Amino acid sequence: MSQNTEGVAQLELLKVRGITKQFGLNVVLKGIDLTVRSGEVLALIGGNGAGKSTLMKIIMGIYQPDAGEVYIGEERITSFRPAVSLQKGIYMVPQEPMLFPNMTVEENILIGFKEKHSELRSRLLKIMKDIGWNLDLSRKALSLTIAEQQIVELLRGLMRDARLLILDEPTSSLTFDEVESLFEVVDGLKKKGIGIIYITHRLGEVFEIGTHVAIMRDGLITLHGPIKDFTREMLVKGLLPKNVEEIEKEETAFEEVDYAHLEPVLELEDFSGYGFKDVSLKVYPGEILGVAGLVGAGRTELATTIFGREKPLGGKVLLNGKDVTGISTKQAIDAGINYVPEDRHLNGLFGIASVASNTTSSYLHNSSLGRFFLKDQKEFEITQKYIDDFRTKVTGQDQEAGSLSGGNQQKIVIGRCLATHPKVVILDEPTRGIDAAARGDVYSIILKLKQQGVAIVLISSDMEEIIQLSDRAVVMYQGYKKGELAKQEICQTSLMNRSFNIEVTQAEEA
Amino acid sequence: MNRSLAEKSKAFFKSWEFVLLVILCLEIVVFATKNPKFLKPAVLLGSLNDIISICIISLFVTFCMITGGIDIQAGSIVGLTSIIIGVSWQDFGFNIWTAVILSVLIAAVCGALSGYFVAYCDVQPMVVTLGGSFLYAGIALLISNLSATASYKGISGFPDSFKFISKYRFGDVLPLQVVIFLVLTVIAHILLKKTKYGRMIFLVGINKNAAEYSGINSKLVMMSAYILSAISASIAGIILTSYLGTAKSDLGATFTLQIITACVLGGTLSTGGKGSAIGTGLAAVVIGVLKFGLPLSFGVNQQYMDIPVGALLLVVVICRSLATNPKVVALTHKTPKAAIKKGSVKESLKAL
Amino acid sequence: MKALKRFTKAREAGSIIFLVLLVLLVGSLNPAFLAPASLLSCLNDSVVFTLLAVGIAFVILTGEIDVSIGATMGMSAAVAATILRDGGSWMTAFFMAIIVGTVVGLINGWGVSIMRIPSLIFTLGVNGLTRGMIYVYTTGAWVENLPGSFTKLANVKLVGHLTVFYAVTFAGVLAANYVTNHTKHGRYFTAVGDNISGAALVGIPTTGTKITAYVLCGIFAALAGMAYTSRIGFVTPTAGNGYEMKAIAACVLGGIALTGGQGTLLGAAIGAIIMSSISRILVFMGFSSDYDNTLTGIMLIVIVVVTTVMQNREIIRNHHEILLARTSEELKTVQEGA
Repeated sequence: MSQNTEGVAQLELLKVRGITKQFGLNVVLKGIDLTVRSGEVLALIGGNGAGKSTLMKIIMGIYQPDAGEVYIGEERITSFRPAVSLQKGIYMVPQEPMLFPNMTVEENILIGFKEKHSELRSRLLKIMKDIGWNLDLSRKALSLTIAEQQIVELLRGLMRDARLLILDEPTSSLTFDEVESLFEVVDGLKKKGIGIIYITHRLGEVFEIGTHVAIMRDGLITLHGPIKDFTREMLVKGLLPKNVEEIEKEETAFEEVDYAHLEPVLELEDFSGYGFKDVSLKVYPGEILGVAGLVGAGRTELATTIFGREKPLGGKVLLNGKDVTGISTKQAIDAGINYVPEDRHLNGLFGIASVASNTTSSYLHNSSLGRFFLKDQKEFEITQKYIDDFRTKVTGQDQEAGSLSGGNQQKIVIGRCLATHPKVVILDEPTRGIDAAARGDVYSIILKLKQQGVAIVLISSDMEEIIQLSDRAVVMYQGYKKGELAKQEICQTSLMNRSFNIEVTQAEEA
Repeated sequence: MNRSLAEKSKAFFKSWEFVLLVILCLEIVVFATKNPKFLKPAVLLGSLNDIISICIISLFVTFCMITGGIDIQAGSIVGLTSIIIGVSWQDFGFNIWTAVILSVLIAAVCGALSGYFVAYCDVQPMVVTLGGSFLYAGIALLISNLSATASYKGISGFPDSFKFISKYRFGDVLPLQVVIFLVLTVIAHILLKKTKYGRMIFLVGINKNAAEYSGINSKLVMMSAYILSAISASIAGIILTSYLGTAKSDLGATFTLQIITACVLGGTLSTGGKGSAIGTGLAAVVIGVLKFGLPLSFGVNQQYMDIPVGALLLVVVICRSLATNPKVVALTHKTPKAAIKKGSVKESLKAL
Repeated sequence: MKALKRFTKAREAGSIIFLVLLVLLVGSLNPAFLAPASLLSCLNDSVVFTLLAVGIAFVILTGEIDVSIGATMGMSAAVAATILRDGGSWMTAFFMAIIVGTVVGLINGWGVSIMRIPSLIFTLGVNGLTRGMIYVYTTGAWVENLPGSFTKLANVKLVGHLTVFYAVTFAGVLAANYVTNHTKHGRYFTAVGDNISGAALVGIPTTGTKITAYVLCGIFAALAGMAYTSRIGFVTPTAGNGYEMKAIAACVLGGIALTGGQGTLLGAAIGAIIMSSISRILVFMGFSSDYDNTLTGIMLIVIVVVTTVMQNREIIRNHHEILLARTSEELKTVQEGA
């Protein structure tokens, strides 16, 4: 048992050593060492895909590690099941609360307990009183705001006498006041000796309530220690890849976009909607506009609102000067905008349909495919064109799209968008979850589009991708546009700073 | 064309429709062997007469199921159609064919109403059409009360031109009803597999979100499926009324479960996205022949017919479940997956 | 608007209020309806439907369906009636009927929970099999000539005009309702239907819960079968035909959502009372009972459309709230050297 600075004995609540985990051939965790003691608030930071949620799921008993040891309260865990972790005092408040929507708050918290209801109820009321929360126990969970739902999840953890609480991005959906009140709760828990792993993107919060900090990058912990030992600069550095020297810009044969002589094909004027506000930007034909930012920054919401999936709340969208604000998806496609969805399984792919069906789905209403009867020949030609152009590996046009590899699936979805001959293509995380070779193919598709004069909006969480491909870049943070970068300004640091909303002078970034 | 004849044939032989065809042939062979009378064309084709309504309705309920929904009000619409024809012709003096058209229009409205709730209000199809089944059966009964004839008697005495639909046999062998069914099967098949509309029906059923992102008006597509199925129910009602020679408000009351059985047996996935008019049609015929052949050739009591039908459904569906069980699939397939390497952007660009 | 909101939030209270209002409405038009004998007849007549509705409610709460419940009821009725007709004891009849219900329930539970076959399809097939089996068992004949002592049972009054049957049934419903609402294991049904992944996460055995639901459904169907036999006095091979749809309708009327996770057994029982009373209500109001189905259909559609639309509005509103929350706060930028 170690002791903190005041000499008070501190219990090791959680210790993990050498945790590795891979899914198929994708190695997510490469050897994680971490310790959390009672009364600590460990702020865990990491970019998208660093492996945080996988690590948490292992601690919660949802996954089993491939190698390494997990000790909870100095006791080695041999059986990985949620019931075991729960029983040992670990509770995770998920980022998206997993409540029972039609049960009341009280039922949600007390479900699964053996003791007498009245006993549990009084215990719950006492906990709520201790913390100073006043939530109406009889409300149905689906009527709660997200903040309230998170409180319910927290209460679930406290009722289980959790000694270690994992809060996964707890403030991502909270308003300012709610965040303050959450901090007070965390403070109170800290004083009680409960350990907390606090996963967040917000560096400001890290310094406000964290006692320790750890940074995960690419499956490893790159930084770990008491918060007082670190500055913001050091944290940002810890988030960057190992070879900290900036990746040299390749001498590429990309054409420089002649901005001086071009009119923007897509323009946003103070565009606001659900999840983003007052975004103004211009996209020019033949350019690749990178859109960087963290998960939750509002990039996808921006794209889907332009594409007619959600109602805009203010501002304008102009396509070649024409006002297209609030048009439907079909109108958007007809006008020349198309969008490759972020989640291809949920929104992009028709899993049990053929490659051909998938490719022509956006183009169906066009008369070239026939008036009433579907022109098989034309469909065949269109599908074949994209299979050939993209080097998509299929056994035939009839193959079910769901049986293709991720990369080939993505090519199909991109092909569908291009089949409508758009002037503006918005790509949302186009290379997520696909192998290196397919990635290269997707890049070549993007570059070819650029040559043809199509405007490309590239939403991506992969900084390298943005750096290499973009002519210009914008960064979004919490729904606002936080920076616009010219080609020579785009680099890891500048993107990272803006993604985390850190203001830095020009000189420091050079 | 993108597939040679050889490839197309190969695909057919692997298809579920082929299996159904084989089952049908087996049935015919077995029954005919036991009782040669079975093979008489007039007998064989006439066996379908009793079940034609169910066959026709199943074709278009398939549309609803492909979009991920279900229609259990079709049975009630049969009765509604029947009584509208009867009452408007006998008690209101409409021309018989006007009465027929009226009944189809009303059926379409019924389908549109339920379809609207399913598509635009996002209500569960099962509940809406359950309510519809009560509602339309009730309305049918009320309409029958408008008639001078007591409702339990049914309205009869229809003109010959009307009865012609069910009485006529091509060459004294092939009933017109069966021909109508075959024509409808072809129409349904063409709609589903050859038209843009049919393509949209499938896409909406497979992934409604992706259909929306493709600019497809998924709501309209879904609603239309219910209109089609209601119209098919009214066509079935017209034929049935002609066949029985009586218009009664409770016709079709027992059809629902049989219709669903035919659809599922025909290869339609209840979760949507998969289905075939030919499959459903074949399945309906398989069921019809089974229900006719077992009593005729083996003397099995007609009343026991639910057992083989129910058993057939269960066997098919259990086998399907086993076939898609991941453990079973793992044993039989070995698909190599490309290595997911997180190569650097540099490497990827180098490959260009 | 607010009142309507509360109706959707307390679904059970809603059905009770609806029932009370209905009774008052009819009573005001025709005071004879409010006579104890009349009111209690409504209850007495709803025994069979109550048992069926409550049985199927278990399954629907877990998010599944069972269209074989009518056939199960018919089969248990046939078995019980045959035993009684042939001189068997009540206990034997009771016992065998329960066995029938349990067996069917286990088969359904296996198919849906373990084989993962969609419940509508599987129970459809089981329905066909069971329906056919009734004919085989009864050789297509009616089962008649049951001992008078048994058939009179349906009319035995507990107090005043209330039959023992209904009293016992209702007591059972109250008990079952208590268990499902207030005991740890009882809550599993609703939890599984409400959020099956969330349920697994808090350690609830989802497969076992679903199988239990189907077995309970089968047992209640068997009880309904016996009540039916006693009330009608004989059993035909078509007994129970179409009853599954009425049971489902009763559940919906009682506030149970077909998607699962919402509603209570008490609500199902109330819905059953409403369903079986409609005919009588219509007569008392001066309408022909021919309006029965029409009224049922309208009620079903209205209730389900209204509650679904309101619920969806709520969900969208929550979703928008989350997104708006992101941009509503003042951005706190982290200054260097702060």
